[in-house]
Amino acid sequence: MNAKLMTTVASAILAMTLATAGARAADHWDGGDDLAVNPLACGAGPAAPAAAQPYDGGQATGAPDKAGKPITLVDVPKLIGIGYFNATSKGIQDAAKELGNVTATTDGPTEAKIDEQIKFIDNYITRGVDGILFAANDPVAIAPVLKKALSKGIHVVGYDANSTPDAREWFVNQSPFNGIAKAMIDSMAKEIGEDKSFAIVTSTFTTPNQARWIAEMQAYAAKCHPKLKWLETVEAQEDNVLSFNQATTLINKYGDKLSGLFGMTSVATPASAEAVTKAKLCGKVAVVGLATPNAMKPYVNAGCVKSVVLWNPVDLGYAATYVMRAVVDGKLKPGATSVDAGKLGKLNVINGSEILLGAPFIFDKSNINTFDF
Amino acid sequence: MAVLAQNLSRGAPRWLARHETLLAAILVVALVILGSFNERFLTIDNLLNQGRLMTEVGLIALPMTFVIVTGGIDLSVGSIVGLCAITLGYSWKTFGFPLPLAILFAIAVGGLAGFVNGLLITRIRVPPLIMTIATLALYRGLAEGVSQAHSVRGYPEWFFFVGQGQWLGVPTQLWILLVAIVVAGVALDRTTFGRTLYAIGANETAARFSGLSVDRVKLIVYSLSGLMAGVSAWVLVSRVTTTRSDMGIGYELDVIAAVVLGGTSIFGGSGTIWGTAIGLAMIQLLKNGLALTGVKGDATIVVIGAVLIASVLIASSLQRRREYGA
Repeated sequence: MNAKLMTTVASAILAMTLATAGARAADHWDGGDDLAVNPLACGAGPAAPAAAQPYDGGQATGAPDKAGKPITLVDVPKLIGIGYFNATSKGIQDAAKELGNVTATTDGPTEAKIDEQIKFIDNYITRGVDGILFAANDPVAIAPVLKKALSKGIHVVGYDANSTPDAREWFVNQSPFNGIAKAMIDSMAKEIGEDKSFAIVTSTFTTPNQARWIAEMQAYAAKCHPKLKWLETVEAQEDNVLSFNQATTLINKYGDKLSGLFGMTSVATPASAEAVTKAKLCGKVAVVGLATPNAMKPYVNAGCVKSVVLWNPVDLGYAATYVMRAVVDGKLKPGATSVDAGKLGKLNVINGSEILLGAPFIFDKSNINTFDF
Repeated sequence: MAVLAQNLSRGAPRWLARHETLLAAILVVALVILGSFNERFLTIDNLLNQGRLMTEVGLIALPMTFVIVTGGIDLSVGSIVGLCAITLGYSWKTFGFPLPLAILFAIAVGGLAGFVNGLLITRIRVPPLIMTIATLALYRGLAEGVSQAHSVRGYPEWFFFVGQGQWLGVPTQLWILLVAIVVAGVALDRTTFGRTLYAIGANETAARFSGLSVDRVKLIVYSLSGLMAGVSAWVLVSRVTTTRSDMGIGYELDVIAAVVLGGTSIFGGSGTIWGTAIGLAMIQLLKNGLALTGVKGDATIVVIGAVLIASVLIASSLQRRREYGA
C-alpha cells in the first residue's frame, strides 16, 4: 500500500475535523446547562430587586474560630498567567494588604483543565489553609473537592465562575449573566440599529460563562430587540490568531450583511477589532465585547470600537477576599443581606448565597484611559 | 574478558531490573526528602489520595507500555477518554440506557476506537504517530459534536462509588489499578503474548519471518489501549461527577511521560510494566510533594521536565555501558 497517499489522507481527515469543529448556526442556545434564561426588562433603568431567597450555600464544619486572627488563603483561579486572573490576583493582594491579617497566594494550573484544578485544590487541603478562593472551570466537577474542603473546616468562597451552591459558602458574582447580556445587546442595538445583523466570536461552546451569556443574549434580544438578526456563532478557543482568523472569515463570508461583531472573551474582542481595522471597515462593522481596557485602548481611541463591556476584575478579587474575611470573622452569616467590602462599600446578597459586585461597567472613549489592567 | 562481555550482553533482563531498581531508589530518596519538608506528605491519607488521583492516567499507561514496547505510539488516548465519557453520559441520559449498560457501552466504544487505530495501522500501514494524531482530532471532534456544549450531570449516588468511594480503606479505583498492573505485568513478563511484543519492537521484520502474527498482536494492543481509555473515562466521570467533551485533554503526554520515565525505550523492544508503575508513582508524588512544600504549579512542571530528561540520560548511559562496556 502507498504509505505516502495514506499520510495525505490522514492529514486531510485531520484538517477536516479541525475545520468543522468551529462553527454553529444560531439555533437555540441553552447555556450548556439546565438552567432557565431570565432576561431583564427592556430599556434603561436599574433592574427591580429580585425576591429574597433562602441561603443555599454550604457550611464549613468544625472550622477553628479565627475571628480577627491572621489567616492563610489560597486562590485557585481557572488558570494562571493571563491578564484577567492576574488582575483578580492583584485585587486579592490589595485587600490582604489593607486588612493586614490575611496572607494569600495565587496558584493554579497553567491551562484551564478541570482535573488539574481539582488536584491543586486537593493538595492545598492536605497542606492545610484557612480558606480557599476559587474560580471554577466546571461548576459540578469542582464540587466534590470543595465539599471535602468544607468537611475539613476550610472556608470556601468562589468568584468569577460558580460551583454548585452547596459546595461553597458564598460566591462573589461579578455581574449576573442577564445583566451582561442586556448591556451587550443594548450597546449593539444602539450602535448598528434595530434591524441589522451580527455574529459572535466566542471561546468554545462548552465554556460555562460564555455559553450562559450567549443564551441570555438570545433571550434578551428576542424579547427587546426582535428585529436584530443573528447570523452565526464561531468558536475560537481563547486564541489570538484563531480569533482574528474567525472574525476575518465572518467579515468575508457575510460582506455587507454583517453590521456587528460580538467578542465573548478578552481575547476574541481585541482580535475582532483588529480584524475589522485590517479590513478597513471601522464605522461599518461595530465591535462590542467583553475585554480588558488595556487591550482595547488602541481601538477605542482610534474610534473603531465604541463600547467595551466588563466589570473590574481587580475589584472582584478584592471583594472575594473581604467576603472571606467576613466569613472567618463571623460577620457574614447565612441570611445576611449585605456585607462590608472595604473601599467598595456595602455589597448586596442576591440569589440566596451570592454577593453582587455591581452592574457591568461600559468602557468608552471618555473613561477607558483612566484604567490600567 | 570475552566471557564477561558475553555475560553482560546476555544480562539484558538484569539491566532492565537495574533501571527499575535505580528508579525505585530515586523515588524513595525523593519521598524521604519531600517528607522531611512537610509532615503532611508521608501520611497514609495523602498517599492513598494520590493513588486515587493517578488512577486514570495509570490505567492507560499500562497498555501504552505494550504499544511503546512494540515500537508504536498512541496519541489518541486522551481524546478516547473524552469520547467515552460523552458516550457514557449520553447513552444514559439521552438514549435512556440503564447506567450499568451505559458504562459497558462506553468502554466498548473505547475498545472500538482503539480497534480502528489498530486496523488502519496494520492493514494500510499508516505510521502509528500519524494515525493517532489524526484520531486525536477525530475522536475529540466526535465528542464535541455529540455533546454540543452540554455536560451531563445528575448521576445517582451509587455511581460515585468507583471514583470517590473506598473498599477496605483503600480508594476503589486504586484496587482496579493494582489488579490491572499485576495482570499487565504478568502478561508482559511471563506469556508468549509478552514475548511477541518484545520481538516486534526489537525487529519487526525478523518477528514476521519467525512466523509471529505481528498484525494480530498489534491490533490487540491498540484495541486494549482504547479499551483501557474507556475504563479510565468511567473512573474519571465517577470521580468528578460530570461529563464534558473536554475531558482527558493532554492525557497522552502524562501517560507517555510515565511510561518513558519507567524505562521503556521509545524505539521499542524494551520496557516493563513494573517500571511504568514506578514512573507513574514518581511523577504523581513529585507533583504532590512539591506542591505541599510550597512550590507553585508552573515551577512544578519545570521540575517534572528536568526529571524526565535526567532519567532518559541515565537510561541511555546505562545502555551504552551495557553495549560497549566491560
